[in-house]
Amino acid sequence: MIRMWSAFAVGAAILASVDPSAAKQNSCDGPIVLGTTISVTGINSSLAGRWDKMTEAFEKEFNKNGGVFVSSCNKKLPIKFVYYDDQSIAATAVSLYEKMATVDNVDLFVGPDWSTHGFPVSAVFEKYKIPSVMSNVATPKVYQSGFKYIAGIALDARTWSKNYFEMLAGMNPKPKSVFWIVQDNLVTKAVHENSIPLADKIGAKTVGTEHFAGTTKNFSGAILKVKAAQPDVIYISAFDAVSVPLVQQMRQLQVKAMDVHHIMANGSMARQADLEGVSGEIYWHEGLGGNYTDFARAVLAQADIKVFDYLWTIGRIDAYLVMLQAIERAGAVDREKVTAELRKPGASWKHVGGEFQFDEGGLSQIVSYTHQMQKGEPVVVWPAAQANGKMNWPAPSWR
Amino acid sequence: MTAIIIQLLIGGVLLGGLYALIAFGLSLIYGVARVLNFAHGTLLAIAGIAASVMSAAWGLNPLLIAAILLPVFFAFGWLMYVFLLEPLKARNPMQTVVGTVLVTVGLLLILSDLAAQLAGPTNRNIRLDLDVFAFGGIIVSTTELYILLGIVGLTLALHAILTRTWFGRAVRAVTQDSVGARICGVRAGAIHAATVAFGSAIVAIAGVLYTLNFPVNPYVGFELTVKAFTIIILGGIGSLPGALLAGIFLGVAEALTGFFWSSDWAPGLSIMLLLAILILFPQGFLSRSAT
Repeated sequence: MIRMWSAFAVGAAILASVDPSAAKQNSCDGPIVLGTTISVTGINSSLAGRWDKMTEAFEKEFNKNGGVFVSSCNKKLPIKFVYYDDQSIAATAVSLYEKMATVDNVDLFVGPDWSTHGFPVSAVFEKYKIPSVMSNVATPKVYQSGFKYIAGIALDARTWSKNYFEMLAGMNPKPKSVFWIVQDNLVTKAVHENSIPLADKIGAKTVGTEHFAGTTKNFSGAILKVKAAQPDVIYISAFDAVSVPLVQQMRQLQVKAMDVHHIMANGSMARQADLEGVSGEIYWHEGLGGNYTDFARAVLAQADIKVFDYLWTIGRIDAYLVMLQAIERAGAVDREKVTAELRKPGASWKHVGGEFQFDEGGLSQIVSYTHQMQKGEPVVVWPAAQANGKMNWPAPSWR
Repeated sequence: MTAIIIQLLIGGVLLGGLYALIAFGLSLIYGVARVLNFAHGTLLAIAGIAASVMSAAWGLNPLLIAAILLPVFFAFGWLMYVFLLEPLKARNPMQTVVGTVLVTVGLLLILSDLAAQLAGPTNRNIRLDLDVFAFGGIIVSTTELYILLGIVGLTLALHAILTRTWFGRAVRAVTQDSVGARICGVRAGAIHAATVAFGSAIVAIAGVLYTLNFPVNPYVGFELTVKAFTIIILGGIGSLPGALLAGIFLGVAEALTGFFWSSDWAPGLSIMLLLAILILFPQGFLSRSAT
């Protein structure tokens, strides 16, 4: 559904704010213009609702030191974002990237988010030969499709729960069975499929799998199947918003397990569904530190974002940071040179949580941290080197 | 197995009853004022968000919240009809229908985005940490009992209003014969406005009950409107008992599908049922005269 009025309002505001003196390709005049779309409205806005503010804050903070150093100009160039609301609709995102390529004449792209957007928008990047660092597009298939101009910052679906299952291998008592509850979605299904061998490896036998649609409200059928199977671990591969009634109803129906694991257990869900004792994956947490920590904190504070409420915000910030590193390494505002830098084999990139490399297709090899909700707060429990607490095992609230 | 079936029925009746409450207002508004209100579900979402905000900020009792929201949504519904929908009645019938759809869809979009701007796009609900009763393998929470009580109470109140009050008689008169009702002194325009207001007030209460058990966000409304349309077609347009029966039937069918087949198929069931009923029972379960 097209929200014409909001598109007009946002579009008019952005058109009014775009500096006509934006840098031309390979120019040393004016700011470097980065085009992006954000899901400010629509179904995914619960994940990205404040990222317009975050993007403005990022621009302001980054330009405080003059911007990004471009060696061919022998000076720093400020950055400027042109952004539109894609209304959480992939088709809208496609038309907006077309517009930014042809009307706004942006220098480079960053974004979009979500696997559903990543596939169709990648074709636009190829068409105009404009590179983009996407964020939170985790499905490996997007990167295995031969697109040259894409790179992506996301937890890789192939290794999403790697740390979690590594941790389970050392637990006492050892979990022997797992029940999978999976949302019918590109990324959640990919995470599930890639987690099955990890469970097999530690000897946790699959005792049931239940797929559900994102619009499901009554989970009693699925939960009663789980109760009948009596698994040691209940693994939920789903987005946070659709899982609120699921976890609520699991509590109401007194589900028991050693652990309930949710791949996107975040703050907004915790306040509604009683996530106490639930384990999950986390991309970054303020307690973890790492590169750009102070910068990220300043941006988050200006945008009034608590990272645990908007779990994937750091992925977005990392996409911006990596694109700026690529420009600096290319030494010019040159799309081909920037693309070459982004796809250079073995290159290491700094992000808020540390360093990483891209795989052959351009997907970041960032492995999540495992956390557990303890007394209402997320406590990182694995890997041991970064942990700030211990896993309560079996989770007391699910006994 | 008996305990499992009863457990599934409890969940199904609960959700189905909530679906029916949403459908009541929509059915009434269409039956009387001939307005296809696509913003109806969004009104529920906004009522739910407002209720959640009030509960979190001031710790108000859901009953009190419903009492506050009732007149607000009644007034909103009245104004919506007078300023946005009534002017369309001056157009020819085709333009009126198309205009009504466009206005209510536009309202849906504006209200959704406005709510997202004001309260944030994240999911919200009302957390009541109440006791859970377990007997013979069947588990029922006190919250669910309150919701069931609310559904039953509201259904009975609606039935009483529509059958035992002057307003109810006027509504039925206008529905059956608008010209005849006018001859008898019933102001059809005012009844249309009052019906839209009344339907909006009902959905406000439904919103509070819904948010006690299910999360809402500003964009959940359209999905609920589609579900409500399915129910009023299943139950017969304008039929209150039909909507209740259809809502519960749909809720139970979804629950049973989730257990005996797959949860993946449960939401799509409403569409399959809709198609089947349209072919087999084009008038719905019960005819509109039942109201």
